[in-house]
Amino acid sequence: MKSGKAADDGNVGKARPSTDHLSEPNLKDPHVILSLLEADQTVAAKQRMRFGRRNLSFGAKALLWGLRVYVVAMLVLVVISVVRAIHSVP
Amino acid sequence: MNSANKEMVESAFGTARPTTDAAAASPLANNLADLLTHEDVDRARDRWRVTRARGGQARAAGLGKLPLFWLLVGPGVLVFLGENDAPSMLSYSATGSRFGVGFFIPFVIFTFLMGLVVQEMTVRLGAVTHRGHAELIFDRFGRFWGLFSIGDLILGNFLTLVTEFIGIRAGLGFFGVRPVIAVAIGLAVVFVAITTGRYWTWERITLALAIFNGLFVPAALLARPHWQAVGHALWSWMPLPHGSGSEILLLLLANIGATVTPWMIFFQQSAVVDKGIQPRDISAGRLDTLVGAVLAAAFGIAAILATVPLFHHGIDASRFEAAQFAEALEPWIGHAGAALFALGIFESGIVAAIAISTSSAYAFGEVLRTGHSLNRPVREAWPFYSILLGSACAAAALVLIPHAPLVFIVLIVNVIAVLAMPPALAFLLLLVNDRDVMGEHVNRAWENVTGVTVTVLLICAGIGFGLATVFPHWLAP
Repeated sequence: MKSGKAADDGNVGKARPSTDHLSEPNLKDPHVILSLLEADQTVAAKQRMRFGRRNLSFGAKALLWGLRVYVVAMLVLVVISVVRAIHSVP
Repeated sequence: MNSANKEMVESAFGTARPTTDAAAASPLANNLADLLTHEDVDRARDRWRVTRARGGQARAAGLGKLPLFWLLVGPGVLVFLGENDAPSMLSYSATGSRFGVGFFIPFVIFTFLMGLVVQEMTVRLGAVTHRGHAELIFDRFGRFWGLFSIGDLILGNFLTLVTEFIGIRAGLGFFGVRPVIAVAIGLAVVFVAITTGRYWTWERITLALAIFNGLFVPAALLARPHWQAVGHALWSWMPLPHGSGSEILLLLLANIGATVTPWMIFFQQSAVVDKGIQPRDISAGRLDTLVGAVLAAAFGIAAILATVPLFHHGIDASRFEAAQFAEALEPWIGHAGAALFALGIFESGIVAAIAISTSSAYAFGEVLRTGHSLNRPVREAWPFYSILLGSACAAAALVLIPHAPLVFIVLIVNVIAVLAMPPALAFLLLLVNDRDVMGEHVNRAWENVTGVTVTVLLICAGIGFGLATVFPHWLAP
């Protein structure tokens, strides 16, 4: 779970003395790369730090189930509609 | 350096920091370098350019924020011009030829406003979390809901991809190009775009192609629109469409589906992540999305205006495919205008084929936890590139199968997009209101009101379609 993300944002971009003055950054230096990216922007950091499951309230579950039923019902109607349309073509 | 990266550095080799090239080449630095991928290096290079553009040199050169915008523009423009795809332009053309200038001109602008509200949320989600949409849904809602969500996406994407190749075939067919050659050209463009091994290059190639969506503008000008009527329609939403209620409802749905679809949410968020957009770039991301929406709305309205001559001459275009529109328009907008129209259909198919196959590949990569970045070389992310190219090849092959149900697919693709959109919006709204994920960037009240309004409108449109299907005589003229 990521926390304190907003607090990190303020620091990003301020501490970049190693790159701001250069015409080209030395991207062979891992520190330069890490100084340019955000806390969880590297592939390794993203693999290590994952968002955990959230607890869905009853309302949220009801909403998702309702929309799921809606989509399935509508897809059946789409098939009916298209079959009718195809049969109506002279 | 931020705290988590610092932690990674220190866990790799203590607190010592190399400050010179010699130190960077030391064995300790090599350990750290092992943690970094080609993707990280490319993204860092892009971020450095953004940092430099912010640094004031560009402003000193009198260019203002233009260089910064040039670096940050991309996902928003691409998603909207990508959504001005072959079936969408076909829907706009059918609208213009059936109803002329009137209600649908402001309606198209309204649908793009809905799209803008939705897509802005994806910019924030991607910039803040650095995760794609599919990955976030799986992480926060679990595998069960994730599979439903990805199932809707993959079905919709594949059907839409088929229609893009129908557009590519039809557009080039106007110039006498054989279907197999046209489809091969489409695949070749997709292949060239993805083999650059660099998100930035892929984005610039696709943007350069996308700008040709503007071909519908000269085609519309050649149709000599009645500007006073256009102005009146924009202001009054009049005249209202007349005729079969079910036909009007289908075109309403098709026009909505031409602007807000699930693949756009997944694509833009993943593209924002792949581009390396950070929270401080959100304003630029919003501008990028706004520019995309304005351009796409203008080009969509141009497609409507280009086909208005068919309305004035009473030509029934209800069963027209893309090339037939161009051929039918030739007497009124000339061969050059018809050729521009056909090229526009070809272009819309190509750009959407690139964007939609990339959207599928991003989603698969995020769910399968394999490399999913255009900054990765093929050898590092071959499943990602295989899905990308494989889905395009499968769609292209289907278009070439004799007697394949292509009309069936074209008929349903935009409707399915509208019907699948409410669940996608529900996940999006739950995520952008999740303070654990978004921190201070959660939705504000008015953003939730507009987001919920869009969702309710889409559900109402779907229910209207359902009622018209169950009770076909209900909307009969």
